[in-house]
Amino acid sequence: MPYPPPQAIVQAARRGSGKLHRYAEQKDLEHLRALLADYAGVPDRHIVAGPGSDMLLREILHSFSGGRKVVMPSPNFLPTVHAARRFAARQVSIRLSAPEFHLTPEILLEELEDPALVIIDNPNNPTGKALLERRTVEAVLANSGTLLVIDEAYFEFSGVSFAILVRNHPNLAITRTLDKAFSLAGARIGYLIAGQLFLEGLSSFQSSLPRASLQAAVEALSSPSYMRKNAGLIIEERERLLRETAALGAEVYASAANFLLVHTRRPEIAAQLEERGVLVADISSQLAPGHIRVSVGTSSENDAFIAAYEDIVKNS
Amino acid sequence: MKKKIGLIVNPVAGMGGSVGLKGTDGGSYERALKLGARPVTPARTKDLLERIRKKEDIDLLSAPGRMGAEYLQGCAVTSAVAGSVAEQTSAEDTKRIAGEMLKKGIELLIFVGGDGTARDIYDAVGLAIPVVAVPSGVKVFSAVFAFSARAAAEMVDAFITGASTLEEEVLDIDEKAFRENRLASKLYGYLLVPAVKKYLQGGKECSNTSATAAESKQEIARCISESMDRDTLYLLGPGTTVQAVADEAGVEKTLLGVDALAGGRLVGTDIGEKQILSLFQEFDKRTIIVTPIGGNGFIFGRGSKQFTPEVIRQVGKKNIIVVGTRDKLMKLEALRVDTGDYELDQALAGYTEVTVGRKEILKMEVRC
Repeated sequence: MPYPPPQAIVQAARRGSGKLHRYAEQKDLEHLRALLADYAGVPDRHIVAGPGSDMLLREILHSFSGGRKVVMPSPNFLPTVHAARRFAARQVSIRLSAPEFHLTPEILLEELEDPALVIIDNPNNPTGKALLERRTVEAVLANSGTLLVIDEAYFEFSGVSFAILVRNHPNLAITRTLDKAFSLAGARIGYLIAGQLFLEGLSSFQSSLPRASLQAAVEALSSPSYMRKNAGLIIEERERLLRETAALGAEVYASAANFLLVHTRRPEIAAQLEERGVLVADISSQLAPGHIRVSVGTSSENDAFIAAYEDIVKNS
Repeated sequence: MKKKIGLIVNPVAGMGGSVGLKGTDGGSYERALKLGARPVTPARTKDLLERIRKKEDIDLLSAPGRMGAEYLQGCAVTSAVAGSVAEQTSAEDTKRIAGEMLKKGIELLIFVGGDGTARDIYDAVGLAIPVVAVPSGVKVFSAVFAFSARAAAEMVDAFITGASTLEEEVLDIDEKAFRENRLASKLYGYLLVPAVKKYLQGGKECSNTSATAAESKQEIARCISESMDRDTLYLLGPGTTVQAVADEAGVEKTLLGVDALAGGRLVGTDIGEKQILSLFQEFDKRTIIVTPIGGNGFIFGRGSKQFTPEVIRQVGKKNIIVVGTRDKLMKLEALRVDTGDYELDQALAGYTEVTVGRKEILKMEVRC
């Protein structure tokens, strides 16, 4: 996120650092859980907090992939991909094809005849596409041998969540994070909105959070208006960045996240942008060379990207 | 106002494929004939012409006889013929007629052939006018080609409605090396094509020979080899990943040809359709193992024309195993088929499983 958190949150983190020789107190952890539950619209008991949603996803793979095949879209959030390769005895990746990057429900559902752990990021990283509709989610959950995890790391930008279904579907879990819209990437707070089967399977999972991070998160969730404002700014800038990059001849895919997938015919584009002082994610390990993921920054950061890309186009 | 469009067909392109030859130029043409090869460009050309929707906007200038005019019967397009050719045609005819058409003011040149034909067209027209390249060779590795005759027809329509153009690569395949089971290619030049990327096939990329890729191939090979049974005839397609499967099975496979494996030993090396169909008389259980071509994703229709529609039908879609390394597959939008039989292509289309590791399957879309 290009915007730092408000000073009140920074101060809260400083206060939390006051007793670094002690573990975070249980009452503070419970307070955070209560705030997260309120934010997610579920009872407290459905919340599991941890040091980053990627860690929670890893723990889920470690705990639940035994005896189940793991089913995921490809491309995908790389830490989840690596964790799946590490822990899964069998893995089925469903390739999303350009230009729509659509996840065909029938192709997903035909994998669920056997016990499965399905992990879908929604919106998807790096395409930015929303992959799931409610009826697909319900169709997946109807398979009693299936556990479904939806990674909603970009929920605050997409506005789409299936958290409400957790109450009535024990085989559903949602992962979320405060890294992005809440501007707390350095605090590393993730959380799970977990159905009963996940809660039972993770009953021995205990994670104490860093004191400073915990206090920052409590303060952020107590006053989330800054987050909503920043998410709104990012969405506006995202659409501007899309228009102006497309006008320069790149193929830019509509996104529901805080980044854009851009396809150029320049395999070296990431390096060329870096030479001009602009950093983007080179995702040629997941898509054809020339694809980059551009995080939406501040207005001036986005202008810098557009200027650098225009310079590359003009000089080639 | 009508667009003046040229048409040149290489009548022998692709003939060597079904009989296991690596090309149809030079002496290979006579050999192909002796082996019972049949021309493939007529069907491709007719498919193309049928599928062009904007025929009323075309003033077609066709090469004569088997190089074009022969296929225009019944085609509702205004046409004239340029030049003359002898019974046996050559690359020089292609270049000469293309040059004549250019002087007569064509705005687009459609050609039907393979990489060799693409090089001849490049020699004749360069970047003077755009082309639409209809794939009909044995290899067809150059990026300039549409992914099928139907896709080529769409590109023609797009040109007529004013599509911009872009440059695509023409590859120079070392034909001698190819016949000796080695793939060596380099960039020959660029041709202009209508900028409708979704109809372009993409150029073949070289195999990844890194240590990581080699390990991946070995892992895939072990997985496939362990699942093989002694009663099944395995038809092994070209490519280094399939070659790794053969290595694991303890046999020495040709890199660029189709070999047959049964009972743990090779029962056919660098075989064509005729030998494959003959083997089918001995084996009821048959499996094809193929790997997508890097850069364009073709599993049938490029570099493995020995897998004719008849062969593929007799094996059956469920007995086709696709293997590939992650690094190759991650660069592909989808897998592709272009067997020459559109009904079969449609039957093969949809999603298929690709074995990418001992524990991992990638489900990928197959497009036609």
